[in-house]
Amino acid sequence: MSIEKIHDWPKEKPIIEIRDLVVTYQDTLALYGINLDIYPGEIIGICGPNGAGKTTLLKAILGLVKPYRGTIKVYGHPIETKGNLFKKQYFQIGYVPQLKAIDKNFPALVKDVVMMGRYPKIGLFKRPNKKDWEIVDEALKAIDMYYMRNRPIGHLSGGQQQKVFIARALALEPSILLLDEPTAALDFRMTASIMQLLRKLRDEKHMTIVSIHHDLRLLKENSTRIVCLNKSIVWTGPPDDPELDNVLRKVYPLPTI
Amino acid sequence: MEWITRLIEGTQLFFVSLNQTWLQRALFAAVLIGILSSLIGVFVILRGYVFMGEAIAHSAFAGAALALVIGVDPLVVILIFGLISAISIGAVNEKKVMRDEVIIGVFFSFTMALAIFFIGLLPSYSTNVESILFGRVLLITKLNFDLLIIFTIIIVGMILLLEKEFYMITFDSELAQAMGIPVKIMDYVFLIMVALAIDVSLNAIGALLVFAFLVTPAAAAYQWTYRLEKMMALSVIIGVFSSVGGLFLSFVFDLPSGATMVMLVTTIFFVSFALSPKRKAGTLECPTCKEAFELEPHSPKESGIITEPHVHADGRIILLSDKEKIPLPSDYPLLPENEQTPDNNKKEKQRRA
Repeated sequence: MSIEKIHDWPKEKPIIEIRDLVVTYQDTLALYGINLDIYPGEIIGICGPNGAGKTTLLKAILGLVKPYRGTIKVYGHPIETKGNLFKKQYFQIGYVPQLKAIDKNFPALVKDVVMMGRYPKIGLFKRPNKKDWEIVDEALKAIDMYYMRNRPIGHLSGGQQQKVFIARALALEPSILLLDEPTAALDFRMTASIMQLLRKLRDEKHMTIVSIHHDLRLLKENSTRIVCLNKSIVWTGPPDDPELDNVLRKVYPLPTI
Repeated sequence: MEWITRLIEGTQLFFVSLNQTWLQRALFAAVLIGILSSLIGVFVILRGYVFMGEAIAHSAFAGAALALVIGVDPLVVILIFGLISAISIGAVNEKKVMRDEVIIGVFFSFTMALAIFFIGLLPSYSTNVESILFGRVLLITKLNFDLLIIFTIIIVGMILLLEKEFYMITFDSELAQAMGIPVKIMDYVFLIMVALAIDVSLNAIGALLVFAFLVTPAAAAYQWTYRLEKMMALSVIIGVFSSVGGLFLSFVFDLPSGATMVMLVTTIFFVSFALSPKRKAGTLECPTCKEAFELEPHSPKESGIITEPHVHADGRIILLSDKEKIPLPSDYPLLPENEQTPDNNKKEKQRRA
């Protein structure tokens, strides 16, 4: 799919279409009966208790888990679960994974890590050119991490690493951004500015954003639509819907301890 | 002083013999092994495949022993064994039934047992076994030499072409897959490359030591840098230096070639480990105020320039270097020059009083 076509994508046609998705891990059912259309320009906030399959849903969209049943289409094309060297459809999805431990001495500077996000656009057998480095610098500036670009990635704190990974997703210049708890390790100021950045990306670059949050206030304030997940989709609707609070009460039962 | 005369005589003999085909071949083989193993070793270390490589090396030893029993060219059987073990280790690793180290541990002992079993089948303990175990770079065969050239060209070419993909996989394999890199296939390709690199180096360095050249030069290079390209270049330099140096020393003092090479490279590793800037606190000159200040351990000395605002002993926050004018984050706490930070202890003391 060419980039021009993606810019012309009609507003009323879903970018991501999920039909009857079932995902299993060995003996556990991770997701079932998922039907979800995501339209251009939406900021989808996904919530749900631990083990509800939130991350699995993102991974399914990325083609990282093989669905047991069902189809996922991105820009009208079924996603591939088998890695295909820089398949064109992946050009458009930026992904910020959950934070995990990094080797303290891993030979990569912050700018190298951000450049990794750019690799699919650079293409096979080629090396980053000057323009790619400019885009990396811009992505780092967007999250106020430019001054750290020459630091080894392992020396950064968890929150700083998370910011770098957001920059890495931005360096791809994606039209879809998937974020898995992007603000889990960030302080409240940074959280606010990341949320502001996401809104800006949607308004200016017409990105479609799907983001997992555990903070319900954040979820309500920063999404155009909320998807409540608990193995299947329990509820979906705008954040100001009065029904939402009832739904959340059901999905997150009162603690028994 | 006997060794000095020996060194002089040996060196003379070495350079006199340089026009001999066997020495030229051995020298060239040492250079190629140095390049091949130490380059691939960088990714072995970063991907965490050290133990798997070791298992492949030992399966190659079993192959060599089998070849002696049935009386064919060891190299052919070694290559077959290497490929089988690379693919089976890859398959086991992919299934993730247990932690891979457990399964490698099982596999590793099995191939060792297999090798000893085959050696036991031999009518007598021959010098062939010894040469496989300990390696004779001077006796490298024509076929082995040719294969070494071919594999070095192919594997080094592939690594340089697919460098960024391999790098991405070592850093975050899941994200690499999400970007459309076929991680599983590339893992297999990589294990096969490791197997081939081990197999063609086996006769020169020896089955017991061949793996050292995959790990140690890269591990030594790892001590010095935070950039992949530098690490690769450094690893190759260390690898070639120690393989050629080891060959030279073993020639001059009539030592086992593989062991000498490995001892040389291990010495370099320990020196690198001891001098590593990654573990040392250093001093850097602050570019703004020309004042030297202590770096915390793990500081990126090699980036050479302080790009981050830092606090001085007097409490001033130093902003940026002259070389790189960096726009600061909009809300970074700046203090005007000459202004001291308030003494919080004093305040608390007054309050308590």
